[in-house]
Amino acid sequence: MTKKTGSVRFESVVKKYGEVTALKKLDLSIDPGKLVTLLGPSGCGKTTTLRLIAGLEMATEGKIYIGGEDVTHLTATYRKVSMVFQSYALFPHMTVRENVAYGLTVKSAPKAEAAQKADEGLELVGLAGFGDRLPSELSGGQQQRVAVARAIVLEPEVLLLDEPLSNLDAKLRRHVREEIRQIQQSLGLTAVYVTHDQEEAMAVSDDIIVMNNAEIAQIGTPNDLYEAPSSAFIADFIGDANLVPCDVDALDGAIARARVNGQKLSVPSNGIRKGAAQMVLRPQALTLQKPDQPGLEGQISYAAYLGKEMQYTVETLVGSLFVIGPVQAQPFLRGDSVSVGIIEDQARLVSA
Amino acid sequence: MKKTVLIWLAIGLVSFVLLPWHMTEDGLYDATWMTDGVAATGLFSILAGQWWLAPAGLAILAAIVIQLAIDEPVKRARLTLGTAVAGLAFIALQGLIIVRAGPRIFETLFVSEAVMAGQPGMGAGAGICALALLFAATISLSQSDKGQGDAFVVSTIGLIVALVAIFVFFPVIHILVRAFEVDGGYSLTEFFPRFFSSDIWDLSCLISNRSCGVGINSLFLAVMTGAGTTLLGLSFALIFTRTDFRAKKLLRVLTVLPIITPPFVIGLALILLFGRTGTITEYFADLLGWEATRWLYGFWGIYFAQLLSFTPIAFLVLIGVVQGVSPSMEEASQTLDANRWQTFRFVSLPLMRPGLANAFLLGFIESLADFGNPLVLGSGYSVLSTDIYFAIVGAVADPAKAAILAIALLTLTLTAFMAQRMWLGKKSYATITGKADSGQNASLNPILKWACYCTALPWAAFTLVVYSMIIFGSFVKLWGINHGFTFDHYIRAFGIDFSTGRFSGVAWDSYFTTLTISSIAAPLTALVGLSTAYLLVRQKFWGKDAFEFSTMLSFAIPGTVIGVSYIMAFNFPPIELTGTSIILIIVFVFRNMPVGVRGGIAAMSQLDKSLDEASITLGANSFTTVRRVILPLMGPAVLAALTYSFVRAITSVSAVIFLVSAKHNMATSFIVGRVENGEFGLAIAYSAALIITMLAAILLLQLLVGVRRLRRSDRVQQIAKTA
Amino acid sequence: MKKLGMVSVAALLASGAVAWADELSLVCSAEQDWCDLMVAAFEAENPDTDVLMVRKSTGETLAQVRAEAGNPKIDVWWGGTGDPHLIAAEEGLSQASGVDTSELLGWAQNMAEISRGKTVGIYAGALGIGYNADILAEKGIEPPQCWADLEDSRFEGEIQVANPNSSGTAYTELATFVQLFGEDEAMTKLAAVGKNVNSYTKSGSAPSKAAARGETGVSIGFMHDMVKLASQGFPLKIVAPCEGTGYEVGAVSIIDGARNLVGAKKWVEFALSAEVQSRAPEVGSFQVPSNSNAQVAPESPDLASIKLIDYDFATYGSSETRERLLARWDSEVGDPNPQQ
Repeated sequence: MTKKTGSVRFESVVKKYGEVTALKKLDLSIDPGKLVTLLGPSGCGKTTTLRLIAGLEMATEGKIYIGGEDVTHLTATYRKVSMVFQSYALFPHMTVRENVAYGLTVKSAPKAEAAQKADEGLELVGLAGFGDRLPSELSGGQQQRVAVARAIVLEPEVLLLDEPLSNLDAKLRRHVREEIRQIQQSLGLTAVYVTHDQEEAMAVSDDIIVMNNAEIAQIGTPNDLYEAPSSAFIADFIGDANLVPCDVDALDGAIARARVNGQKLSVPSNGIRKGAAQMVLRPQALTLQKPDQPGLEGQISYAAYLGKEMQYTVETLVGSLFVIGPVQAQPFLRGDSVSVGIIEDQARLVSA
Repeated sequence: MKKTVLIWLAIGLVSFVLLPWHMTEDGLYDATWMTDGVAATGLFSILAGQWWLAPAGLAILAAIVIQLAIDEPVKRARLTLGTAVAGLAFIALQGLIIVRAGPRIFETLFVSEAVMAGQPGMGAGAGICALALLFAATISLSQSDKGQGDAFVVSTIGLIVALVAIFVFFPVIHILVRAFEVDGGYSLTEFFPRFFSSDIWDLSCLISNRSCGVGINSLFLAVMTGAGTTLLGLSFALIFTRTDFRAKKLLRVLTVLPIITPPFVIGLALILLFGRTGTITEYFADLLGWEATRWLYGFWGIYFAQLLSFTPIAFLVLIGVVQGVSPSMEEASQTLDANRWQTFRFVSLPLMRPGLANAFLLGFIESLADFGNPLVLGSGYSVLSTDIYFAIVGAVADPAKAAILAIALLTLTLTAFMAQRMWLGKKSYATITGKADSGQNASLNPILKWACYCTALPWAAFTLVVYSMIIFGSFVKLWGINHGFTFDHYIRAFGIDFSTGRFSGVAWDSYFTTLTISSIAAPLTALVGLSTAYLLVRQKFWGKDAFEFSTMLSFAIPGTVIGVSYIMAFNFPPIELTGTSIILIIVFVFRNMPVGVRGGIAAMSQLDKSLDEASITLGANSFTTVRRVILPLMGPAVLAALTYSFVRAITSVSAVIFLVSAKHNMATSFIVGRVENGEFGLAIAYSAALIITMLAAILLLQLLVGVRRLRRSDRVQQIAKTA
Repeated sequence: MKKLGMVSVAALLASGAVAWADELSLVCSAEQDWCDLMVAAFEAENPDTDVLMVRKSTGETLAQVRAEAGNPKIDVWWGGTGDPHLIAAEEGLSQASGVDTSELLGWAQNMAEISRGKTVGIYAGALGIGYNADILAEKGIEPPQCWADLEDSRFEGEIQVANPNSSGTAYTELATFVQLFGEDEAMTKLAAVGKNVNSYTKSGSAPSKAAARGETGVSIGFMHDMVKLASQGFPLKIVAPCEGTGYEVGAVSIIDGARNLVGAKKWVEFALSAEVQSRAPEVGSFQVPSNSNAQVAPESPDLASIKLIDYDFATYGSSETRERLLARWDSEVGDPNPQQ
């Protein structure tokens, strides 16, 4: 449907509301055809960034480019972006078709053409034949897809999605996000997607921009972020992670010699420097063994059977650790003393 | 945008060259200025020696040059803005300095003969030039910064601020300065003792059986009326939306009737029913052996009359709000195991807060400014509005006293306004979000339902009786004395001589004038009011609170004060409007605008902002968004604004009395004359005719504006079926 | 934006005319029907002149004339009680008409003399007492004959009268009492009457209307208003007080700066003519005409039979006297914050 997809670039963009800084000097670049997620906790500035791209907010400082064009001073009306809102923002007094055709008709496209394009859009999201209904007569998932159709029929350079799935139930959420991803890829759209759900972000994104405290914490592919977190925050935010204080004694190429509670380990150095650091231990990087085995001594405070795996919480001298283990014939029980082993090549180091 | 600025500047230039700058004696209907009025255009006036008009023309020219010559957008916008503002300032200054008669400023500075000869009031040329410069300025302003403003939004703000400044502040200042006037000079020290005098603020009614000061009287009445009308209005709104009450249509008519009743009529009807020799009083006096008293005259009489008159306003505000409470929130509450009462108490009612607050504020202000009811029924119970009237037209005219009382009244309004703001706080009341819901509004619990019936239905019955009496009164020879049936009153008022085809009735002239003027004023009022509401709810700009208050100002000031201040301000150049129909239209637009504003605010704060944003990101500009998304979703508010301003224009009296002229006489002023003359039959027959006319107009409006389509079916839960 | 613009443009285009040279702008402060009659008669006599008439009360008219000073939109002001006309004359808001007043009765000429010709009397109406015969009969109250009767406790709560601060009628009553009994005695008497007063109304004509309908038993007001109510069928009886009574003089003035001065002068001459003054009873106006040759309607209160005082318009019309008397009235008679 569209081939006019565009890039997005921020140059030192600052956004302030009075005294409050919502974004500190932001630089970012999104390549055409990519789906990039803005991920972060509430209030990190991700929605502000999205609204800056949309033109619903104006940058206090810096420049914004869409498709190579400086749009810093253009209001939302004049930017070639479309947005899917968290609340869908379907116009309740218009039919589904009128909603989808809205963007075309305000640009004074001929009525018939607009209606036809709207129907094409509806077909694309699997709602062919729903054009004459009112939004209130559709289910939540259907309304969501109408919102997507309404945004994409305009063939925007950039498609913006503001937590588009937060109003859907878990099952539907997975289904719809796959659809969104599929439509985005088949149309080759540039899309910016805001969410606070890291799993959702991992599932749909080409790249993820993790934000924290009004600035970017890390940019990378889902794999990068998971495998090579640049900070304890990222490690904690992307996937489950146990953060354990450690000391880096020596660096040997890509291998670092580190101590955790006296136990010496050789782990990938991940660009760390000598001195105090933190070790990122994914639940799968830990093993539970009988107390006589080498490892961190601990006691199980919580054990749960989840069908395909076991989840444990183990209280140790370095804090409580979250461990995932295989389903065993004789699982550890609450209260058992254990030794927690660390799989060295799966551990990661981040600065303290 | 550059194009738009240039178009406006071109319009300005053309009107400067081609249209008569000043008001012509014949008005513009008459095309004579085309032939013999060439010398009157701005350009020719300058050549003829009125050099002071030159800056206006030069400003337009300079702005055009700037637009064409400068490429850098921000610089171009800033220069244009400066030039246009300077042009506007020159137009205003020359208008205020060079006048034929009346007050002039800098009198001693300019003494040349041409200047002293003065000039007539501004006309079409001046008006369009000013408008062109204003829009050039506002559009440029929107571009001169970091693209913060949307040209439409900034222009609308600019236009409304300009209009409010000219038609509210400018006249009102004329009368308010009188409060500080002492023997030809002005003094602040004199003002305070007069303002805080016990005549206004005396509280002795609380401790003795003396009466309180007029200010306290007014305040007490206004609070009672505000609360009473809000409660009644809410009951009606709930009956309409949350019950399966059968006679909804009849109720609907009853709730509209009092609004469309000319002043004095309700008061008169009350006297004839409840006065000492009133039908109902006598009936009960005979039945129970009590002595008939004059209880109606005083607080209770005014209070009942105001409840009758103003409940419909509260209803009109609240119906939209009650309808707008999203069913899903009520359903959410019910699924959280709240019962219907709890749902109403903790979910629906708080969500209606903006509506309740607005309804109260309107009732409060209406009561303060009400003039007809206290005049007829007040007796010893003095209130500010009547005291102001008699301070102006009484045996001892005392404009200073009138001004002080008017300031007292404004103080009360301002306080109520502030209190409302504080009560509403900053919570969100949006319930129409873009996420469509198909749920059902919770029906009322039985106790609440009967509570609503018990408050609303007696009122409805009361209204019905009062109106039956009015109809009855128009068909009897002498109401209260001789109840012989007659058509005489109607024939006198609306007779048509069929042999000549002439409208021979005495009421026709004022009837047609009234309808014409109201029909012009109503859409303008709705437009200005709703635009203002849009700006207030949806846009952020500097000085918004002050802006909001200033739009309420004209409503809060009693009509009498407005009427006199309009004469003071607009009888002389630069804006000379007295004796025309325009002054009537303007006074209606700016007096009734606040109702559109309040209703619009209430309705709009229920619309989720993401709807606007969705429209804007889909490429619509603010204007299209307003037209295609906001307006359709505000159907009830638009209807209310249109209806109310139309009806108010027909029924308002206090401001109009001073502004009507022989050519443009209004129905109310005609009716008041007849009432003063004791011709109740004719007055009531005319009123009845007006009521019918307005009913017809309202029905027509309802058809035209239509009903908002959000959910397909009427969603009132049928208790019997579901429980 | 454009829409808003167009609307303003339309509003400007609608600018109407101000006045035509052959139009006469008239404010009439008498009863509507009388106004209509006068206009029709004048236009019949002067077919070239188009009379633009609007009816406003004297207070409203005075307020408007004051506000419009310097650029009046009104040419001539006809009817209504004389005090506001005199005030307008005193404040230089009206101008001398130079009309011949020789045919007029003494009180009308007096009016012209006081104002140096700026306002001329056109009718007179005496102050009187009205009572609702049904109510008094029902309550067994003996009807009043004199001002003094009103002090009697049998009228407790039955008397209604206007407040002189707002009503010219009530001020006339106040001034009449002062001229009849002397200032101090008048205040005492008014205070005594005040004990029986159920309400001081704002409007001067309200008490008689209330008495006509039985909302009050007794009213004080102008007799011609009462005659009119009685002739409509109300059980209102009229009493000329035995001590004598004061009266108002209705007047006509030309506004200073009138655009159609010629027409205004014609109007004044016309309004003073015996012929047109004789026609007032046709429309139920029973004031006594000022032209000595005009016919008086049989229903009109016969001024000859009423004991009229020699009302001193010059003294009691002056702002100084007025303010003094009203201040005394406030403190000695009327409670500025009356009881409910």
